[in-house]
Amino acid sequence: MNGKRENRVEKIVSDLLRGRRLKLRGGDAEEKAAITTAARLAGVRQGPQRMQPAFRKRLARALEQPQGEGWVTRRAALVAGLGLAAGAAAGGFASRAFEPQPVHASDPIRPSNGRWIDVAAMGDLVEGQGKRVTAGGVGAFLFRHGDEVTAVSSICSHLPCELWWDGGHSHLVCPCHPATFAADGHPSDPYRHSALNKVYVRVVGGRVEVLGTE
Amino acid sequence: MTQDEVADQAQAEVVELPAASRATEIAVNELELVYAFIYARVGNRADAEDLTQQVALKAIPRLRQNAAASSIRGYLFATARSALGGFWSTRLGLSEAELREDLLPAPATDPPSEEGTETVQRILAELSDNYRRVLELRFLHGYSLKEVAKEMNSTVGAIKVMQLRALRAAAKVRPE
Repeated sequence: MNGKRENRVEKIVSDLLRGRRLKLRGGDAEEKAAITTAARLAGVRQGPQRMQPAFRKRLARALEQPQGEGWVTRRAALVAGLGLAAGAAAGGFASRAFEPQPVHASDPIRPSNGRWIDVAAMGDLVEGQGKRVTAGGVGAFLFRHGDEVTAVSSICSHLPCELWWDGGHSHLVCPCHPATFAADGHPSDPYRHSALNKVYVRVVGGRVEVLGTE
Repeated sequence: MTQDEVADQAQAEVVELPAASRATEIAVNELELVYAFIYARVGNRADAEDLTQQVALKAIPRLRQNAAASSIRGYLFATARSALGGFWSTRLGLSEAELREDLLPAPATDPPSEEGTETVQRILAELSDNYRRVLELRFLHGYSLKEVAKEMNSTVGAIKVMQLRALRAAAKVRPE
């Protein structure tokens, strides 16, 4: 934890009391007990909470999505009384109105003024481990597969936050919400967000280059 | 077909299908309690909503339609505890094994949505007067640091340190 611990914990407390999302960083683990207690105290200050109508609609819509065999059907969600009857009549408009439109995040990043930027040596990359690099305005995680390298954007496809590589679980983690992505950019959690944008990458003479910007 | 007819048809569809979704219906009603349970542990709406959705998407599809209501509740809360463990593990950059067991949410009591306030009151009651006062003013009354300092006749810097120490002390209290 950088700086004085009491300052850092106060920042977290202050965010919680303003109703903000918990944004933590690596060093915060040293005060894990104080932080989890602060969250708990903040959580009871207004008594037991109920889901907001907009969230109920969003949840209903998420449950409504066909998720493969065994997943809740639209009919089941309708019966469950999550307010979808109106949504069915209006073509789902009501629930969509409360949620940002899905991010189209599967296209590779192709900057209009793109140029290949040298970001690392092949020797810097460890098989099975992500390495964060920047190529001008393009942030990416590199993954080595033998003599080849793949890359995905370092920005979460749902909230625009910088991902970090969790080597223990071998996935990319969003610090802003519980979203995780595999090395190929596909979501590895139940949220099923869009995949991360691919980033163009090539290996030239043992050096790794990413298509980035000046 | 008019909008009313479309709505009537949707309504008819709801009425005609009661048996198919009994477990889902129970689970969806329980989600209010799950949300309150999670909110009481993460302290903010955005994270509570994300985690509740995670629990719903993970648990509901796996329910057996003839499962007992108590089993459904138990499964939802087990899933919620697992999601909370994953949440803290991810946010703090620790493996779940590294999170001390007492930091992970305890098994839910019944009714789980109402135990939070009482538990916190019991925790605060175990603290020294100064520690209890600073946490009460800050968290329960919503005072700013400056206001707490004024109320307790102290400085902002000293209150910040006291707040951290009080939180550490509160974390050690084991409410019965």
